Amino acid sequence: MTLQYIAGELSLILGELEAAVPSRAARQVAGLRREAETAPFPALPGVAARALRLTDDACWASLTRGDAESFRREASISAELWSFSLCACLLDEPATAGGQVPGWADRPGL
Amino acid sequence: MADAEEAQVSEAQIAVHWREEEYYEPPASFVAQANAADPAIFERFSEERFPECFKEYADLLTWDAQWHTTLDTSKPPFWKWFVGGRLNACVNCVDRHLATSADKLALIWVPEPEDEVTKEISYQELYTRINEFAALLRDFCGVEVGDRVTFHLPMLPELPVSMLACARLGVIHSEVFGGFSGAACGERIADSESRILVTMDAYYRNGELIDHKAKADEALARARELGVEVDKVLVWRRHPGEYRSQSPMVDGRDFFVDELLEDHRDKTVEPVSMPAEAPLFLMYTSGTTGRPKGCQHSTGGYLAYVAGTSKYYQDIHPEDTYWCFADIGWITGHSYIVYGPLALGTTSVIYEGVPTYPDAGRPWRIAERLGANIFHTAPTTIRMLRKLGPDEPKKHDYRFKHMTTVGEPIEPDVWRWYHDVVGKGEAVIVDTWWQTENGGFLGSTLPALQPMKPGSCGPGVLGIYPVIYDEEGEVIEAGSGKAGNICIRNPWPGIFQTIWGQPERFVEIYYEKYCRDKQSTDWRDWPYFAGDGAVQAADGYFRILGRVDDVINVAGHRLGTKELESASITVEEIAEAAAVPVVDELRGRAVEMYVSLKPGLAPSPEIEQKVAKAIETEIGKIARPKNVWIVPDMPKTRSGKIMRRVIAGISNFTDVGDVSTLANPEIVDDIRHHVQSEKLARNEVPRELSPQEQEEIAAFGRDE
Repeated sequence: MTLQYIAGELSLILGELEAAVPSRAARQVAGLRREAETAPFPALPGVAARALRLTDDACWASLTRGDAESFRREASISAELWSFSLCACLLDEPATAGGQVPGWADRPGL
Repeated sequence: MADAEEAQVSEAQIAVHWREEEYYEPPASFVAQANAADPAIFERFSEERFPECFKEYADLLTWDAQWHTTLDTSKPPFWKWFVGGRLNACVNCVDRHLATSADKLALIWVPEPEDEVTKEISYQELYTRINEFAALLRDFCGVEVGDRVTFHLPMLPELPVSMLACARLGVIHSEVFGGFSGAACGERIADSESRILVTMDAYYRNGELIDHKAKADEALARARELGVEVDKVLVWRRHPGEYRSQSPMVDGRDFFVDELLEDHRDKTVEPVSMPAEAPLFLMYTSGTTGRPKGCQHSTGGYLAYVAGTSKYYQDIHPEDTYWCFADIGWITGHSYIVYGPLALGTTSVIYEGVPTYPDAGRPWRIAERLGANIFHTAPTTIRMLRKLGPDEPKKHDYRFKHMTTVGEPIEPDVWRWYHDVVGKGEAVIVDTWWQTENGGFLGSTLPALQPMKPGSCGPGVLGIYPVIYDEEGEVIEAGSGKAGNICIRNPWPGIFQTIWGQPERFVEIYYEKYCRDKQSTDWRDWPYFAGDGAVQAADGYFRILGRVDDVINVAGHRLGTKELESASITVEEIAEAAAVPVVDELRGRAVEMYVSLKPGLAPSPEIEQKVAKAIETEIGKIARPKNVWIVPDMPKTRSGKIMRRVIAGISNFTDVGDVSTLANPEIVDDIRHHVQSEKLARNEVPRELSPQEQEEIAAFGRDE
């Protein structure tokens, strides 16, 4: 199957995340983006899960700093990432960003 | 841990998570107008008529010179189609329609901002724009036949204009998905040795104007690191006259296309007549950490195949308004937004943005406004639209006669929503299976002649003869309930020619596994290995199960590591899981699970049992792991990827391989000591592995 576009969309969302988070987190996101672009498809759920955890941390950090604008942006990307990952069957509902690594229990035939 | 009971569950229940579905017949109204409504077509494409059957596809095109050999198999598996034939892809997509359809719309471009004007581009205007850009490429950039030009473009009409300009010149284009990083673009520039990059300053996504030109600088830096210097960067501007990137233009290197075009207005460029076997484009696939894989597609064979499949499987008529919702950065877009539809002289819709902007009703508003009657998208998009706006399609007065789903397996309940709600119960659906390497569809129902079955792609398409092999190369019969590796027994015109610059890798990945005789020039000895698992029902319909990478074969049952791992992490205490094979005298291979716990939790036999039970419940008794090892952490690369071959080596008492690239190499000895001492205590030390077994374990979980 042409699953390339799932990797591509994930990379695209991670690109947005990279631009939104502080520089230290951005380097981690860049690494995840690299992985999304180069790792075999079975690795993508793990990439999505780690990205969600990272975004979660970034959101909390922004809240702690009182940086509402950063929080808004990071939360928006987190929502997009979560929604996309669910619909691409990279995550199972209810997946959380709070530490649980997602699975593929509902993915048909995979 | 081991459960000596034989599996009580069939492999079909393991491999296939839903029952065989009922059939849906195509509506009579669709059949009445379909391009392929006469069952005689099956006879025309039967194996007895192969390869000449594909003349029917080639005859859809305009040739400068007729071919003398339909299929040349003298150097397998580097098949050559329509040898001796000459043509130009741009002529076939544009020029030849001008005589009768100059004013007909070729492209309708819908910008993401809903208040921005839709652009309608006639075949005449498309011809003009292509010629101007081709003149620019030839005269300003100095490109010549066979050169490569890389695009890093979003979904705007400038992308097909640029592609067809290259095709007109006999220049090989390589489009990198616009959402990919600059580094990824740079690697593809370097691999293809492109000297020209065509990009755009910005584009809209989810309501925001994304700075895209910034990536060009990253791309060039990366290409330079890899030894390739780009001469010129051609920058299209999203908003004419306005530059919307923060990245400064580099003098002497970066040029605005709209400014350069002033010197090339109304120029025409004579189309270059190309051999059918000349490469038309490269399409790089992701998913490899080594050198990128550039799938090289031909001109004549590829164009014939996408034209033929567009006609019969997409049922495109010239009077249709066809909307493929994919990105042209993927093969779906190349084949079924640009080359296939335009070769048939239809109107093709291109949408800039995300499906759900500004809301989930957007696609249906577009379809209604444009009168789109054929729709084509991916299950991920369908799931998203269903999730966010399950009733939105009902609010809009569009009528699709035909819909496609592409890119991944689709579960039956999602298929039914697509059929009942999006298609209003009236549209046929083709659930298509194919890959970047294939050029066009490999598996699909012929919409007017073969009933639909939710969750199944149907049989092989016309002229494609699939087969499912087990690991030993034995055929798995239809209706057996067993899953295996789906292969295509024969070459077809749309198949890619090679991996750019890497012919050995091409043979190794796609043909070595099931090749019967490397000296043979008989195509029957060279089945194409698609890399997907599949099961074939008694009716001949295939259900695709996804990639065969990382599969453990337990007593003949194929268990995907992803399934095992996802079952493990349904256990609340588990943070990460990795499945590896261990050599087992009774079953050939058994599964061992390595799991790490969430912070603050202590290992216990109860947790091990929970993991084993979860796997047994989710997948079946056959999948119950021989052992569950709780470890403090997994051996991982610096990018966080778990190195399964390391733990596979530990489980099997063999060499774990190079650990120098691990982020946490110290964990290897900890795990080894824990696991191997425990196995010694349980008298579970395996015998010494054969060289083949050692190689299998060493290769487990590796990238291509």
